[in-house]
Amino acid sequence: MSETESILDQIAEAPADHYRILKISDLDGDRLLELSQFMHLSLSKEDMLAVQEIYREWNREPTDVELEVIAQTWSEHCKHRIFGADIEHETNGKKEAVKSLFKTYIYDVSNRIFDRKPGFVLSAFHDNAGFIKLDEKLAICLKAETHNHPSAIEPYAGANTGIGGVVRDILGAGKGAKPIASLDVFCFGAPDTTMDNIKADDVLHPLGIMRGVVRGVRDYGNRMGIPTVSGAIQFDNSYIYNPLVYCGTAGSIPIKYIDKEVGAGMKVIAVGGRTGRDGLHGATFSSAALDTESHESDQQAVQIGNPIEEKKAADFVLAARDADLIEFITDCGAGGYSSAAGEMLEECGGTINLDNVTLKEPGMVSWEIFISESQERMVLAVKEKSMQELQKLADLYETELIVLGDADGSGILKVTHHGETVCQLDCSKLHTAPTRHLSAKWELKTEPVDAPAVDNGGEDLRSLLADFAVVSREPIIREYDHEVQGNTILKPLAGASGDAPQDASVMRVNGSDRLMSMSVSILPEWGKTDPYAMGTACVDECIRQMVASGADPDRLAILDNFCMGNPDAEEELGALVETVKGIAAAAEIYGAPFVSGKDSFYNYFETEEGPVSIPVTILISGMGIVEDVSHVTGSSLRRRDSLIAVIGSTESDLGGSVYARQKGLANATVPGTDMEAAMGLYRTYYEAVKEGLILSAHDVSEGGLAVTLAEAAFSGKAGLEIDLSSLPTGENVSVAAMLFGESPSRLVVEIAPENLERVAAVFEGQPFAPLGRAAGEHSNLKVTRGADVLINEPLDELKSLWKNGLAHYY
Amino acid sequence: MEERPRALLLKFPGTNCDEETARALKVVGFSTEIVPISALNTETLDGVSLVMLSGGFSYGDYVMSGRLARLVTEQKIGAGLREFRDNGGYLLGICNGFQILTQLGLLPEGSLVENTSGRFQCQWVKMKKQADSPFLSLLPDEFEFPMAHAEGRLVTMSAEDARKYRESGAAAVTYDQDVNGSFEQIAGLQDETGRVFGMMPHPERFLYREDHYDPDWKNSAPDSAGSGEEKWGSGYYLFRSLYESVTSSN
Repeated sequence: MSETESILDQIAEAPADHYRILKISDLDGDRLLELSQFMHLSLSKEDMLAVQEIYREWNREPTDVELEVIAQTWSEHCKHRIFGADIEHETNGKKEAVKSLFKTYIYDVSNRIFDRKPGFVLSAFHDNAGFIKLDEKLAICLKAETHNHPSAIEPYAGANTGIGGVVRDILGAGKGAKPIASLDVFCFGAPDTTMDNIKADDVLHPLGIMRGVVRGVRDYGNRMGIPTVSGAIQFDNSYIYNPLVYCGTAGSIPIKYIDKEVGAGMKVIAVGGRTGRDGLHGATFSSAALDTESHESDQQAVQIGNPIEEKKAADFVLAARDADLIEFITDCGAGGYSSAAGEMLEECGGTINLDNVTLKEPGMVSWEIFISESQERMVLAVKEKSMQELQKLADLYETELIVLGDADGSGILKVTHHGETVCQLDCSKLHTAPTRHLSAKWELKTEPVDAPAVDNGGEDLRSLLADFAVVSREPIIREYDHEVQGNTILKPLAGASGDAPQDASVMRVNGSDRLMSMSVSILPEWGKTDPYAMGTACVDECIRQMVASGADPDRLAILDNFCMGNPDAEEELGALVETVKGIAAAAEIYGAPFVSGKDSFYNYFETEEGPVSIPVTILISGMGIVEDVSHVTGSSLRRRDSLIAVIGSTESDLGGSVYARQKGLANATVPGTDMEAAMGLYRTYYEAVKEGLILSAHDVSEGGLAVTLAEAAFSGKAGLEIDLSSLPTGENVSVAAMLFGESPSRLVVEIAPENLERVAAVFEGQPFAPLGRAAGEHSNLKVTRGADVLINEPLDELKSLWKNGLAHYY
Repeated sequence: MEERPRALLLKFPGTNCDEETARALKVVGFSTEIVPISALNTETLDGVSLVMLSGGFSYGDYVMSGRLARLVTEQKIGAGLREFRDNGGYLLGICNGFQILTQLGLLPEGSLVENTSGRFQCQWVKMKKQADSPFLSLLPDEFEFPMAHAEGRLVTMSAEDARKYRESGAAAVTYDQDVNGSFEQIAGLQDETGRVFGMMPHPERFLYREDHYDPDWKNSAPDSAGSGEEKWGSGYYLFRSLYESVTSSN
C-alpha cells in the first residue's frame, strides 16, 4: 500500500470524529499535492512542502483544522501571492525584475503620495477599507471586491453575497463604518450571444447571468438600505465563461473611531448569522480556474444571502460603535472565523472555543465550523465590562451574540472543541507563505492604422448610441434603490428629463457640509492591445469623472481591482504587469493614492476548444471630496442659450474605441494619456467650478465626442449647434477621431454666454475652445466642420435608440 | 418654552429609511425618537403625537409586504395603535410604512401588490393632491416625489371600491400617470379621521431643493440657471403640514 493511499484511506475510514491528526511528515511532494487536492486546499506542491517543513520543525503532525487554516491563510484570495511574487518581466525586448507588484507599484507609490499630502489618507491597506479625511470630524472609505466564480455558477446568489460581503468590509473598517453608497460593475458576454457560441456544457447564457446578477445586487442592496449609485457594464465575448462581478461600498465614520486594537483580556464575540456547511472552501475555490465540473461540484461554495440578518447586525454594530463599546471589529469573509479570528489574534494570540458557536445544523466537525463562510457574521473584540451593554443592544436589534473566546497575549492561536485542542498555531508562522517566482512577457500589439473616412456621421452616431457599450443602463439602474438614505444629490440618471447619464455620483454625508463623489472606470478593450495605456486611461477617467462632478482634484483616492485569467501564462501575466505600471504612473502624477485594492485570478475556463481567459481587466474606482453642495455639477445640458466648449486635446488614435471595434480596426494604436497636462486641466477646471462658471460638464468616453454631446443633450432642454473647426487637437487628427475617438482627458462643458470671457481667461494657455451653443430653436444634434455638415440628427430619435437599447434584453 | 411635539418612529428589522425620515421630522419641528420594535410596549406611546412608519423591508417582506410587521406589532401592543388614533394621535406610513398601515387595517381596505412591471422601480413621479389632508395642506395641487418599490400597486376588492376612494377623498394623492398599475392611479390613502395617512413615494428624500434630479428645479426663467430662491423640496412641506396640524390640534 502506497503512502498516499494510506493517508487518503486514513481520512476516508476514520470515524466521524470532530478532528483528525494527519501524518504528513513522511510524504513526498506528489503525495502532499494529492492530499491538498483531496482536501480542496488549493495549496501547491511547493506550499505543501513548506507546510511539511514547518511541522517537522515543530516535531509534530498537523490537525485537519490546522491544514485548513493554513490553506485559507495562504490562499491567493487572502494573501494575494501573485501580487507579492518575484516576477521576471520582459517587454519589447527589455527585461526587468519586479520584486512584488504590490510593494513596488501600489504600496510605495501610495506612500510617496501620503507624504506629499499629510493628513489626507487616514488609513490604507491594513484595514478592511482605506479612509480619507472628509472634514475635521469625519472620514470616508471605499472598498471594492469581486465575486466572479460564485456569480458564474449561481449568478443571483453570487452577486447577492458579493454585495453582502463588501458591505461587511465597511462595517468591519475602523471600529465600524456606516455603509452609505454602493457601486456595481459587471463584465458579461454580449446579450445577443447565440448558444452555439458557448463551447462548454452547463455554462449559463450571458443574459441569464446578467439577470441573476442584477437581481442579486438589487435584493441585497435594496433591503440593506444602501443606495446603489454608481456602476458600469462591459459586454465582451471573452466574459462568456467567466463573468466579472465587482461590488463596492463606501462608508463614513467619525475619525476617532478609525484606530482599533486587540488587547490581552478582551472578549472575542461574534454577531449576526449562524454557522453552517454553506460556503465551505469559498476562499480556496475562488483561487482556482473553472470548468464544467465546477458547475456541479462547487455548488457548496456558493450561498444565498440574508440581507435582513446583515441589516440587524449592521444596526447593532453602529449602535455599539456610537456607545464606544467596540475595541476591534472585522468581518467574516473568505475563510470564515479562521481568517477573522486569525487576523484579530495574529499578534495578540488567544483561544477560540468552537463549542460556543451556534450552528445551522448539527454534527459539524471542527474544521467546518472554523472555516465556514456562512454569511452575515461580524467578529468583535470588546472589553469584558462592556458585555452587558452589548447584549442589551443585541437584544434590541434582534441579532444573535455569541462569545467566541478570549484574547490572551500569548501570540498563539488556539482553537478548542469538545474539550480538546484542535488547532494550536504560532500566528507569525502562518503568514510566511513561500514567495512565488513567475515570468511575464508583453509585446505591444498595436500599429498605426488609417482612420476611415466619415461618409455618414449621423449613421455612425446612431450605430454607436445603439451599441451595448453605450446604451442606457436605465432598466438596471431603476431596479436599484439609488436614493435610500436621502443623500443622493447627483444621481446616476438626472438632467431636466431625469433619465440622462451622469459621470459620477455625489452623496451628501450626514454630519458634514462636504460631500463625497464616487466614480468608476473600466476599459478592458484598451488592455487587449495596450494594457499600460488601459491603466493610465482608467485612472484618468475615474479622476476626470469625479472632478467633472465638482470634486477637488487634489483630494481624491482610488482603488485598484484586478481580474485576469491564468497568471502562469507569461503573456497574460505580462499584460498584468504593464497594467499595474500604467495605473502606478498615473496615480503618482495625479497624486491620487491607492487606499485599497483586490485581485482575482484564474478567470479562465477549460472549454471544448481549449482554455479561454478573460483579458486583464482593471477596475479603478474612486472617492473624492466635494467642498460645497454648490460645486456639484451634472452632465446634462441645462439651458437653451448656453455655450458649449471642449477642454482637453483630441488625439488621432482610435484604438480601444467602440468606433474602432464597430469598424473592425483591430490593433489600432491606443491613445496615451498626457497625465501632467491632464492634471493641470483638472485643477483649472476646478477653479472654474469654484467660481460658479460651469453649468454642466460631461466627460468624453465611450463613443467619443459625438456621443458625449448627444448624451449631454438628452436632458431635453435644447438642440446643439457645434462646429469642430476650432477643436483643440494633436497632429493629423481625422474627422473620425474628432467625432468618435476616445482619447482621454477631455470634457465637454456648458457655460453661460456672459461667462465666456472669464472662462477663456481661466483656461488661458491650456487646450480650451468654445465649439458652439445650445440651440433653443431646434432639437437636433448638428455637428459641422466649417461648411461640412457631419451630423444633423433629431435628438429624440437618437435618445430613443440609446434609451431602449438594453430594455429589450433585460 | 413650548415643548416640541413628540414623534415616534417604529423600526422593524429591515426598516431602512428611519434616519432620513427622522431627519425630516426633526427639521420641521418634531422631537423624534427611533424605537426598535423589540422595545415597543403600550407605555411607549404615552405623550406621543405622531407614530411614524418609515420605508424599508420589514422582516425582508418575503411574505406579503408588511404582513409580519403587522403580526409583531399586534403581538406587542394589540390594538394600541388604534387606540392611539382614537385619542387624537397621528400616524404616517411611507412606502413599507404604508404597506404596514394597510395590513393593520388602519387605512381604507386595499392591498399593495407587485407592480405591473414585475420590477423594483426607483424613479421620480409627478403626483396630484385629490383631497384635503392635514398631511398635504402646504403642498401645491401638483408636486413630485421619488418612489422606490416593487410592491406599490394599490388594488381593492373591486375597481368600484377604488373609484369610491377617489370620490370620498380617501385617495388623497394619485400619480399623474400609470406608473405601477395602482387602481385609479392611487399613490396614497387617508382614513376617515384624516389623521392616518399612507403613501408609497418618499417625501423624506426630497427635503432640500438639491435633492431634485433637475438642478434647475423651480427656476422660473428657462434660461436662468443659478441656485434659485427655494431652499426646501416638496417633502419638507408635507412634513411641515403635518407639524402644523399636530401643533394646532394640541
